[in-house]
Amino acid sequence: MSNAATFDSRTDTAIPVESPLAYSYRRSGAPQAGSPSWLQLRERAMLGHLILRGGAIVLDEAVRDVLGISLPGQPQALVQDASGERSIQWLSPDEWLVIVPGGEEFPLETKLREHLGDAHFAISDVSGGQTLLELSGEAARELLMKTVIYDVHPSNFPVGKGVTTVFAKATTILRRPSEERWELVVRRSFADYCYRWLLDAAAEYGVNVQQ
Amino acid sequence: MSQSKQQMYRLNTGGRIDRSHTLSFTFNGERYQGHPGDTLASALLANGVDIVNRSFKYSRPRGIVAAGAEEPNAIVQLGSTEAAQVPNVRATQQALYDGLTASSTNGWPNVQRDLMGLIGKLSGQFMPPGFYYKTFMAPASMWLTYEKYIRMAAGLGCSPMEVDPDSYDHLHQHCDVLVVGAGAAGLAAALAAARSGARVIVADEQEEMGGSLLDSRETLDGKPADQWVARVLAELAGCENVTLLSRTTANGYHDHNFVTLHERRTEHLGETAPVVHGHRQVRSRMHRVRVGQVILTTGAHERPLVYAGNDVPGNLLAGAVSTYIRRYGVAPGRKLVLSTSNDYGYRAALDWNEAGCEVVAVVDAREAPAGDWVDATRAQGIKIITGSAVIEAKGSNRVTAARVAKIDIEAFKVSGPVQELACDTIASSGGYSPVIHLASHTGARPTWRDDILGFVPGLVKGVQACGGANGCYALCDVLAEGVEAGIKAAAAMGHAAQTVSLPSAEQLQQGPAVALFQVPHEKPTLRGPKQLVDLQNDVTAAGIELATREGFESIEHIKRYTAMGFGTDQGKLGNINGMAIAARCLGRSIPEVGTTVFRPNYTPVTFGAIVGRHCRDLFDPERYTALHQWHVERGAEFEDVGQWKRPWYYPQKVNGKAETMHEAVARECLAVREKVGILDASTLGKIDIQGPDAREFLARIYTNKWEKLAVGKCRYGLMCKDDGMVTDDGVTSCLAENHFLMTTTTGGAAAILEWLELWHQTEWPELDVYFSSVTDHWATMTITGPEARKLLAEISDIDLDRDSFKFMDWRSGKVGGVPARVFRISFTGELTFEINVQANYAMHVWQTLFKHGEKYGLTPYGTETMHVLRAEKGFIIVGQETDGSVTPEDLGMQWAIGYDKPYSWIGKRALIRSDTKRENRKQLVGLRPKDPKVVLEEGAQIVLDPKHAIPMPMVGHVTSSYYSPVLDSGFALAVVKGGHQKLGETVYLPMADGQTHEAEIVSTIFYDPKGERQNV
Repeated sequence: MSNAATFDSRTDTAIPVESPLAYSYRRSGAPQAGSPSWLQLRERAMLGHLILRGGAIVLDEAVRDVLGISLPGQPQALVQDASGERSIQWLSPDEWLVIVPGGEEFPLETKLREHLGDAHFAISDVSGGQTLLELSGEAARELLMKTVIYDVHPSNFPVGKGVTTVFAKATTILRRPSEERWELVVRRSFADYCYRWLLDAAAEYGVNVQQ
Repeated sequence: MSQSKQQMYRLNTGGRIDRSHTLSFTFNGERYQGHPGDTLASALLANGVDIVNRSFKYSRPRGIVAAGAEEPNAIVQLGSTEAAQVPNVRATQQALYDGLTASSTNGWPNVQRDLMGLIGKLSGQFMPPGFYYKTFMAPASMWLTYEKYIRMAAGLGCSPMEVDPDSYDHLHQHCDVLVVGAGAAGLAAALAAARSGARVIVADEQEEMGGSLLDSRETLDGKPADQWVARVLAELAGCENVTLLSRTTANGYHDHNFVTLHERRTEHLGETAPVVHGHRQVRSRMHRVRVGQVILTTGAHERPLVYAGNDVPGNLLAGAVSTYIRRYGVAPGRKLVLSTSNDYGYRAALDWNEAGCEVVAVVDAREAPAGDWVDATRAQGIKIITGSAVIEAKGSNRVTAARVAKIDIEAFKVSGPVQELACDTIASSGGYSPVIHLASHTGARPTWRDDILGFVPGLVKGVQACGGANGCYALCDVLAEGVEAGIKAAAAMGHAAQTVSLPSAEQLQQGPAVALFQVPHEKPTLRGPKQLVDLQNDVTAAGIELATREGFESIEHIKRYTAMGFGTDQGKLGNINGMAIAARCLGRSIPEVGTTVFRPNYTPVTFGAIVGRHCRDLFDPERYTALHQWHVERGAEFEDVGQWKRPWYYPQKVNGKAETMHEAVARECLAVREKVGILDASTLGKIDIQGPDAREFLARIYTNKWEKLAVGKCRYGLMCKDDGMVTDDGVTSCLAENHFLMTTTTGGAAAILEWLELWHQTEWPELDVYFSSVTDHWATMTITGPEARKLLAEISDIDLDRDSFKFMDWRSGKVGGVPARVFRISFTGELTFEINVQANYAMHVWQTLFKHGEKYGLTPYGTETMHVLRAEKGFIIVGQETDGSVTPEDLGMQWAIGYDKPYSWIGKRALIRSDTKRENRKQLVGLRPKDPKVVLEEGAQIVLDPKHAIPMPMVGHVTSSYYSPVLDSGFALAVVKGGHQKLGETVYLPMADGQTHEAEIVSTIFYDPKGERQNV
């Protein structure tokens, strides 16, 4: 075993949780442009986020066995399972972001640790520290162009790509799981700034925020 | 309605305006009318408005000179309300819209009857270049006074005093090929690049794309050129790989082919952006474009001739005359005299004549002009006076006559008798200057070409210039150059060329131009009437000549001395003439004199577009903890710590009055010392460290030892940079044999993670260890004070017994039903539990603590109280007690240095150098003011002898100072040279107000020196 401490940060009881945007919804609201809207913004809150670090070959074997999907074979790639609910994204040569439905992260970490045994790797639960924002609609790409420096043109940003880039004056992980959808992984402490920025930048199109 | 309001200079036919619709607008308080398709300038000319401004320095009346970005005079202030004010708009670039309100930027009390003009007239000859420097610089203290009046008199427009209702933004763009300017060359280049499949952006600063083709008298494929423009634009608009940006100026060309494009999205529609489907549109946008290949097809600016009185309203560029007639259906006068040095100028005479107005004469500086346009002019029966030039324009508020004479260009003198031709308009053409501004922004020096009498741009890698920008003016050649550039640029980006068939242009015979810049006058330049070179900055030929006589030889110095090409003008009309004049005076050639550097921005950019969305609430990110809302609702005042908003203190209402900070902090401090307080410590950096070599890595990164830290234990660690100076500190806990949780300072979190990665990746890759930031994952709630255990026991299943859960231990369990890690570490000196839960649960746990905490007097406290409490205990804050020059030993923290560790660690070598061992280094001590009521000033300098003559030797300074409620006294931490050996000695702190405070050097621990309270 890796001789690291694991910690199941979730609890089964009916204890109230607050997503990183809870304060933002109360403060800035959740605008509804009605239809037609060129832009939809949805937070996918309370998902399980794990940072995986280690050698690609050993980790790839483990995630194939445990999660049923392989590690992205290339830099800046995003791999999803058939349902699209579980994904692994390349972050750096020895670093990947795993996102799974909320509550799956601890069993997943436990199984991965069992599978990896004495190999040198690290798994860190960051589920409370970030949230996932989903953008869709006709104006989504232009909104991103206002926001991130990275080139989001389809020729440079096909489906299945993911990068870490500049979000206005913060940073974000940006990924494209499908033709219509973009995902932004933002850090909890910056989430309100990012949310307010997106609402402001989207104001000219009108945006529907789905809570 | 007075006559001037009937568009008396509007032609009945022609132009790209819509005569079926009428727009009304206001200029300097007068109402006028124009048509869709007009610019403000063309509408003013249509209404016979001669004077649009007063000049900057001499306050001379000025009229419209040009039809585009190069306009030096018609610079207006827009806006009917305070919030809508926009200064610095060129009337030639502003589309007319209904209700447009504009005024001149200069002129007091107004442009027609300007009192400053009187002063300008009287003192004009006494205001040579350098006038302000020479006259107003002494005494220096008075400059601010002078400046206020000079500025008021000069007037450069005013910025709005109210909040702008509009929004602005940035758009990050990426493309293979950027085409700047959509005239003939630009459209040809864009077409070629677009057909290859490359990603193309075409930016054009005008209302309509097409450039000179929109008002050209030439045909393409035998049809008016604008039909070809329409066809090309339709094809480009249909290409998915092409972005067409009209009303978009490439204002700056920066390093690495990064170009900024300023797009005026709604400026042509009204004062504020329209609301579409209930959504306010963005008024102005800055496209920040990373480009593969740049094609500059920015065209050329016509160069005016420099003759006396050339700034009197009614003097225009020849090309502008054509543009106003052919594009806007306005003849800006009735009787024209054209002064030209080349064939191109003749088009103005032809257009004027064909519009049904009188051409008094064409005055050509060449002895024997010959060419198709010259012939056409002769054929229309227009008089051509050869070997001559307009040497002076007569008139004050409008041209009344042109004085024409034979000139000897070589000898720079008038060589024949002067005749006066009555006219109201003088058009001049001295040839073309390629628009090299953008290429200049890259730092590349332009090259002079004698054959075209102009500078062509110097080019850096990845940029081409073609068409007018490259000194190529014949339409068929311009189109061919454009296609070639487009193909080349696309190919460089890996896109294969497609064929582009060019339309056939007329083959025109043209005679050679003559190099004429300044026209000689009967009187020497210095004594003759003013010959303006730079109309916007009021620089005259005499001014340049004077500058050369005063010893300014470098064109860069001449520019700065005379202000030529300054500011928003950037020398578009004047610079080449100015250089030619300097060359003449210095007896050099133009290339020897060289050019000045054109700088961004090409034309003024509204601040809104520069700032984009990075303003007001979005100026800088604000980072919030999971408990932020609670703090806000509790009325906390916030302190900025990096980008974090941390509660500073929580003022309460006492008898209806809000506590002062001092009162709130005193209350919060006593609550911690006597009962229990709670702090949101979530902002502390947290780094998850895993791997078999994690322990050794820690011991190399920290100064102290980590070999024996057992699972379940915590240890304070001190980090140095390789210079041995303290850079960060914090508690690191052993979670498992191969697993540690490091905490860093709030401000240092990101930098420390990078620091760890840097050392691991570059120096110690052999260590098996990984790091991940978990700062945002955990929320940290610190409960501290004598009642902390009792409170926690109520809501936690963790065994809190003092003997099983000791100071510097951590345990996991549940707090308020939520899985938590609880650390028994203390930054206050009191019994403390730091509760860490996954941040999504934080609010619940915090509220649960308060639900149970009331009976224990649970009091939230902020960073200020935290600072006081830690200082009472002598705990340092990195960045406050340290400033990058403080070693662990200076801090008296020898106990945190493991010199005998089995391997080297960062800072070790530096810490055994003689300088870091020196005994009189500044060392951390406590200071107790002799007068307990005194709270010393942080930063106050410390001396040993207050009677010493100034300058006194300073031996240290105060790093932290507070009032301690528990001691009821001021106290401070300070660094003092050799301070560790000076305990009990008295030092002095002379203050700026003349007071001198006295203080005793004491231990840094002011409260509970044995540390008993945190161990209970």
